[in-house]
Amino acid sequence: MSNYKPTIGIEVHLELNTDAKVFSLSKNNYSDVANTNINEIDLAYPGVLPTFNKGVLDKALLACLGLNMNISRKMHFDRKNYYYPDLPKGYQITQFNTPIGLNGYLTLSTGKKVGISDIHIEEDTCKSLHHNGKTLLNYNRCGVPLIEIVSCADMNSKEEAMDYAERLRETLLYLGVSDCKIEEGSMRFDVNISVSKDDTLGVRSEIKNIGSISNIGDAIDYEVKRKIEALENGEELLFETRRFDSDTGKTIFMRTKDTNNDYRYFPEPDIPYIYLDEDDILSVKEKLVMLPKERREEYKKRSISNINIEKLIANKELSDYLNIFLDENIDFNIASNILLGDISSYLNKTRKSIFDTKLDKERFIIVVNALKAEEISSKIFKEILNSIMEDDALDLDSHKQVNSDEKIIEIVTKVINDYPDSVKDYKNGKDNAIKFLMGMCMKESGGKLNPKMVMDILQDFLNK
Amino acid sequence: MSKYLDLGINEIHDLLVKKEITPVDLVNEVFDRIDLDKLNCFITTDKEGALKRAESLGEPDENNILWGLPIALKDNMVTTNMRTTAGSKMLENFVSVYDAHIVDLINENKMIIIGKTNMDEFAMGSSNQTSYFGPVRNPWNNSLVSGGSSGGSASSVSSRIVPFALGSDTGGSIRQPSSFCGIVGLKPTYGRVSRYGLIAFASSLDQIGPMTRNVFENASLLNILCKKDKRDLTHIGKEEDFTRLIGEPISGMKIAIPEFYISDVIDSQVLDKINDIRKLLEDNGATVETVKVPYIDYAVPLYQIIALGEASSNLARFDGIKYGYSAKNAKNIDEFYKKTRSEGFGDEVKRRIMVGSFMLSGKNVSEYYNKALKIRKSISNSFEEIFKEYDLVIGPTTTCLPYEIGEFLQDPNRSFVDDVLTIPVNMAGLPGMSVPIGFSKEHLPIGMQIIGNKWEEAVMYKLAAFIESKLSLDLVPGGDNNE
Repeated sequence: MSNYKPTIGIEVHLELNTDAKVFSLSKNNYSDVANTNINEIDLAYPGVLPTFNKGVLDKALLACLGLNMNISRKMHFDRKNYYYPDLPKGYQITQFNTPIGLNGYLTLSTGKKVGISDIHIEEDTCKSLHHNGKTLLNYNRCGVPLIEIVSCADMNSKEEAMDYAERLRETLLYLGVSDCKIEEGSMRFDVNISVSKDDTLGVRSEIKNIGSISNIGDAIDYEVKRKIEALENGEELLFETRRFDSDTGKTIFMRTKDTNNDYRYFPEPDIPYIYLDEDDILSVKEKLVMLPKERREEYKKRSISNINIEKLIANKELSDYLNIFLDENIDFNIASNILLGDISSYLNKTRKSIFDTKLDKERFIIVVNALKAEEISSKIFKEILNSIMEDDALDLDSHKQVNSDEKIIEIVTKVINDYPDSVKDYKNGKDNAIKFLMGMCMKESGGKLNPKMVMDILQDFLNK
Repeated sequence: MSKYLDLGINEIHDLLVKKEITPVDLVNEVFDRIDLDKLNCFITTDKEGALKRAESLGEPDENNILWGLPIALKDNMVTTNMRTTAGSKMLENFVSVYDAHIVDLINENKMIIIGKTNMDEFAMGSSNQTSYFGPVRNPWNNSLVSGGSSGGSASSVSSRIVPFALGSDTGGSIRQPSSFCGIVGLKPTYGRVSRYGLIAFASSLDQIGPMTRNVFENASLLNILCKKDKRDLTHIGKEEDFTRLIGEPISGMKIAIPEFYISDVIDSQVLDKINDIRKLLEDNGATVETVKVPYIDYAVPLYQIIALGEASSNLARFDGIKYGYSAKNAKNIDEFYKKTRSEGFGDEVKRRIMVGSFMLSGKNVSEYYNKALKIRKSISNSFEEIFKEYDLVIGPTTTCLPYEIGEFLQDPNRSFVDDVLTIPVNMAGLPGMSVPIGFSKEHLPIGMQIIGNKWEEAVMYKLAAFIESKLSLDLVPGGDNNE
């Protein structure tokens, strides 16, 4: 049984977060009250014509650039013709012959590259709600811009498939082209799976609309097992469409795909060809941010811990902030620790963006360097954080840690003289007494003494 | 009965400006004439709305020659204040939620829409016999067809019910009925007039155009139809004064007649008239030469592939769910679609949807459709070559004279053959017009087609106006309708 190898490809439908729909000026907000974001174009009234939202082109281009695609310089739309109540025109406008992006890839955590054969722009359908034997249609979703991202059948395990989905989602979020909410349907996965003992591909099945990344793993597990069992029992597999039931963990048969659907594709005559030149692409390229993969590499080079790297990637704002300092010579471990620790809590509590605080580039460098040089302790940092984030002037000096032997010796001498009983206790073997004396030293100095140095000097004095 | 509507629009305009008549008088006269109409020109009229509008127009605008004048729209242009049927049972009671772009333009220019004219169902036909609302009759002989698909528009203008009508032309639907009814009809350059609100037949070929009693009135109406509309991505517009070359001499013009347009498939009476015009033009200093235009003889099969392919998709939206005819008692969604579309569409429309679907199915896309697109490009190139040397192309509009209602009904290919001379123009996206050049011995009008280079309608109007002034034809039909 174990000599079967699964082959997996994933198609993703992604709703783009433009203000308007792709072929009409209706608001692109599916979640508003049903059938409020609609006009005559969405309803396919006789005589209407599609307009084209240039914002969709820019977002699709951005996605293509982020996924290393070749960009089509001349493209058109096609009509995909079929009858279904959720499709008011009787055809979907899509890009069948000239997808905007071709032959790109996404790099998995392992470094393996998964090919992306094409990315094309299309429109979403209405949302059907089946209720008491009737079907209700919500046209808010009709015409919402989508890109479909079609991977090559390059994945061979559920781990790779889930990693692909996760890396893709993360990349698209960083590109800012979609909210990528899988549960709400703005990012939808169709997974194609086949198994084979040799290099030929087995008969595939397509699992439609999987609702979470962990379900992708479960669906693949089930489907691979189902296929192997069938093959071992000598059954013939059919090219079929299935769906995943997350309650039972099973995939369920929907329909066979043996009769290839005849969609009668032809070029959409209502939308002229779109031409892209170098300038169009460059102007979008300027909006291209550093993507997670490169960020991870940069952070690793700067010796940030793996845990912190992942936390940073998960918090794009802090990661963006940290990237301001990539050319600076600071301690990135300290920088990432305070960002993800105290600063993050402060931001959560105050519901602020770090970019709206007084912690500008210069101030952050001063603070990180002071922590590095142990001029302030992390305890003091925490105490004065509000002032660091909010005050016009930064006053570190009054909080700076005392690192001079002379000053520390002066205070230690005073404390030893003030508390002879504790000194006696310590000498009689009560180790706890030194902690009391330590505390007194810190109290005497207003907490500014370097605690490690105090302890060393105190021990020296007591053990004399 | 008043006869203001028999006057030219310049004269009517003068009377309006001098307040000797009002738009209300004109509307009343239109409806007096509609009451006598035996031609079945209109599917829907709106006397009450038209009178209300006529009363609300305020002071006459002496700078707007179209102020207060009545106009009829082919019933495939959507309106919010009247139903729009496209000549089909499918849309028998359909009222649009928005107005077509040209409706906005007509309203902006203070014209009065008086009704929606009869047409072949979804503009599919060339004799106005596929209309759910019955055939339109020819004002020159009421037993003959008006031509189509803009038959109601042609007949209503020809019979002097209205001075203006709009038609739409996918393969000849403005020019052919204009020829049959003895009026001036122009299909503008593709992209000249916004299609927003025109119920689509074949999107890459459809174009709205003016149908009028004479050349000047045609150019005057086109003047207001080209305003830029962002809602149609294929619309370019290019506003200009189309009357500006009217009256200029034609000497020095180079005119081509395609060999294909004077072949023996053309009725000899039509050919004779074309030859008369050729002589007239030559006598007045124009050069007229016979030329070969490669590929134009393929236009009809191309049309059957491209136009019907597009139509099969454009008409998919009529599914009974959102608007229009909706079948009762269907057991499931597939049966619902089948019943709605079987019962709502007429035979010709169903035939064309089936042919179009077939053309786009499976391998046929590459076998037929993609090849047709290539040959279509070749037709464009052929014309491009011609227009490097010639100012205009002329020829007959139709191969034959108007025929009997009921004739050729059993021949589904007939309507395409009718359009053999007009379809190449749509394929190349060029402007084409039909202008009356005389009568047959049965006293039926004969039209000549003028084809221009893209965006050169003004040059076409110049030639058409010249011919019109030289011939001075009496184009008021003496049929039963006008007694």
